[in-house]
Amino acid sequence: MSQTERYLLTRANIEGAHQLAVAEKNGAYEALRKVLKEGIPYSTVIDEVKKSGLRGRGGAGFSTGMKWTFMPDPAKDPRPRYLAVNADESEPGTCKDRVIMQRDPHGFVEGVLLAAYAIRAQAAYIYVRGEYRLPHDRVKAAIEEARAKNLVGKNILGSDFSCEVYMHRGGGAYICGEETGLMESLEGKRGHPRPKPPFPAMFGLWGQPTTVNNVETVFNVPFIMNRGSAWFASLGTANSKGNFLCGISGHVNKPGVYEFSFGITAKEILEQHAGGMWKGRGLKAWFPGGSSCSLLKGSDIDVVLDHDSLRARGSSLGTAAMIMIDDHTSMARVMEIISRFYDHESCGQCSQCREGTQWLSQIFRRIAHGKGKADDVATLEALAKGMAPGKTICALSDAAAIPTLSAVRLFKDELIECVTRQADPLAVPQPHYAVAGGHH
Amino acid sequence: MVKIIVNGREVEADPKKPLIKACHDNGADVPMYCYHPGLEPVGSCRICQVEVKQGDAPARVMVACRTQPAEGMVVDTESPKAHATRKECLEFLLKNHPLDCPICDKAGECDLQDFTYAEGQDAGRTNEPRRELDKRKSLGDTIVLDQERCILCSRCVRFFEEVPKQAQLTVSDLGSRSVIATFMDRPLKGKYQGNIADLCPVGALTLKKFRFQARVWNLVKMASTCGECSRGCSTTVEVLRGADVKRMRPRENEAVNKFWMCDIGRFSFDRHNRSGRLQGAAVREGVQLVPYPVEEALTRLRDELMREKSGAWILSPWLTIEEGERIKAVAERLGHAVCFVSPAPNSEKDDLLHTGDPCPNRRGLSELGIPAAPVAQALEALRGVKSAVLIGERIVELLGAGELAKVDATKTRVHLVDEYALDIPCVLSVYGVANCVERTGTWVRSRPSRHRRWARARLPS
Repeated sequence: MSQTERYLLTRANIEGAHQLAVAEKNGAYEALRKVLKEGIPYSTVIDEVKKSGLRGRGGAGFSTGMKWTFMPDPAKDPRPRYLAVNADESEPGTCKDRVIMQRDPHGFVEGVLLAAYAIRAQAAYIYVRGEYRLPHDRVKAAIEEARAKNLVGKNILGSDFSCEVYMHRGGGAYICGEETGLMESLEGKRGHPRPKPPFPAMFGLWGQPTTVNNVETVFNVPFIMNRGSAWFASLGTANSKGNFLCGISGHVNKPGVYEFSFGITAKEILEQHAGGMWKGRGLKAWFPGGSSCSLLKGSDIDVVLDHDSLRARGSSLGTAAMIMIDDHTSMARVMEIISRFYDHESCGQCSQCREGTQWLSQIFRRIAHGKGKADDVATLEALAKGMAPGKTICALSDAAAIPTLSAVRLFKDELIECVTRQADPLAVPQPHYAVAGGHH
Repeated sequence: MVKIIVNGREVEADPKKPLIKACHDNGADVPMYCYHPGLEPVGSCRICQVEVKQGDAPARVMVACRTQPAEGMVVDTESPKAHATRKECLEFLLKNHPLDCPICDKAGECDLQDFTYAEGQDAGRTNEPRRELDKRKSLGDTIVLDQERCILCSRCVRFFEEVPKQAQLTVSDLGSRSVIATFMDRPLKGKYQGNIADLCPVGALTLKKFRFQARVWNLVKMASTCGECSRGCSTTVEVLRGADVKRMRPRENEAVNKFWMCDIGRFSFDRHNRSGRLQGAAVREGVQLVPYPVEEALTRLRDELMREKSGAWILSPWLTIEEGERIKAVAERLGHAVCFVSPAPNSEKDDLLHTGDPCPNRRGLSELGIPAAPVAQALEALRGVKSAVLIGERIVELLGAGELAKVDATKTRVHLVDEYALDIPCVLSVYGVANCVERTGTWVRSRPSRHRRWARARLPS
């Protein structure tokens, strides 16, 4: 499998592309101009995106065009409607949206406007992860530049389409990347996810019809409108179309964000792009799509990267953030870190998640520190099954349970060995802060 | 209304109300922590899991408080899957709960305890240290918070947001570090704080006045009516071993007070627990009141009143309509005047429950044709007659002991029927009387117009 075509990061790789003049010279806002000047109806935009097969890049992989059709008909429902763009990228391993916002903010703003046009939103809210200072500043500057040229705001490019774009910086909670938590946070409340139904399309921001899209998802829309859904659908595999940004991290020689078409194998990414495993070590395990999906064994590296293939291996594509773990690494330690993250980030509404994430974290911590108990591994499995699937308001509980279940399934012997030897054979001396302090 | 099947029985359910209500209304005992019928459901505790089958889709276990009943829904609250899911959920809820039931005021009426006994596991699996937090955090004059017992159901937070509509509490911090808190640790204010102790499904929020006062299974609970304003909230009076009233709590009454009551009514039991109550009768002999057999004292009083044409009966607005009716008949037969004391409205009136009118039976007595007399007018009536009977609890308090002392003993003979004796020259005889937690009767609420009978919670002390 070879790389056929790149488009996502072409402009991002040009020096100064975050400035309007450079961006426009390289094609930014062409799709928006085309849609508005030719008066392409919003329904055609939705149809094109539907036909292209674009699936959400935020992790769940839901059809974007389909999601847009869930918005009520404005003729029957005259309420104001909003687009919320999820730029609260906080999943461990995921760092692709940062590249887009930082390096090609105008392409992103164009995508936001086209998505808003498709769902007939009069305002778009971009919820940026609080720690993303530069991406935030770049997008904010881009909006201002665009506004000065009548690309944002009232009657964009003289058309009857008006859309205001607002930026909001998050306060640092992972849960605010959950779409309903994000909306609560935008409204100025605690980022506690809302039970669904009602779904955002009927009862979203301030109770109005709202669509929540990921940064990379809307970023794809201008390309689809420029080059057509057929072109887009020609990239990728049967059910996963287009190119995706893959953030590869962990024990590799060249970690980074790369662009590939769906259908490339993980092996090719690791070996030909990320420079292989560091220090010549072997691959023990890896997360194909961020820390919330099931771990895969090193031998699964031959898998094709798309939604169906990863599901067939018992994991998921998630945000295509591959975290590679070498064979010198203790899985007890890996899971201690991962489970501590979920314990720290659970919003605390649902009993299973609030107590379960803490419990998992405490057990993994004990195992990794040579204080495991005989029934710990069985308890981990039972707890994770009690936390998922679908037992809580949002999917954070599942996100903590899924990697736990996979770790227990794939590395049971290693975990049990840590317990029976009352020591982690693969432990490396930890910096002091990892043992003392912390939030517990 | 839609037709659904709950545990094999076809029932009608309101599609606008959560499914858990239809289950409860039809005898299915679905546990709940975050759900409370008086608050908006949030579906966060996840304990109310029931098995629901809709159409041809396979049966699913879902939370009953966030599910709307739909035509043809088949609900099984007792299926093995529902039990297993709830059992699982309970284990998580108990993960950090201190299990200090032996010293917890809630023990015996605690939802966590009850549902754990009903379907939880008999041994915990956790070996981890439990959360160590503030066990006695004062939230003002009324409430103490035990953060360790709290299961973060957020009922108390939502109560202030939804009922008095003044948010005062919040969940602060995240995940397993969450605690209930007020803004900047400010004390709670307002007169509806006590309700959050009732709402709390565990022993996290306790009333300062009830902490360590009684084990709840030793309390005798009687349905009653609050007498602190003309609203007449339905209450339960809880008495320890036939003596002190330890607690007064709201009793569900959709038309009047729903699930709530104000702290003025809630803590009115202090008055009922006061010592120095007048037992039996006392009659003035020379300069002092001396104990006297009740029958003989009453006979003397009857003889005096039957002789005296110039008489007045001044009633307490706490008297019931049964009492008012008889007194009025007697007074009319004797040709005496009759009125009840009507104090001025107080400043406690609010939009929620308190009416500001301190007379619990103003409407009932007025409907009997007994005129209401402001305090000054009642005192005037008293001074203008030769024999007067002041009758009913709090009558001295209403008229003022100081004002009564000014009554000329050579002109007016006063006979007092009240909870406490008052030894002033004009009072010739006194009789102890039962107060509103010690007798049975009927008041009529200001609105809606419904007679409210209540029962005796204890014998007069």
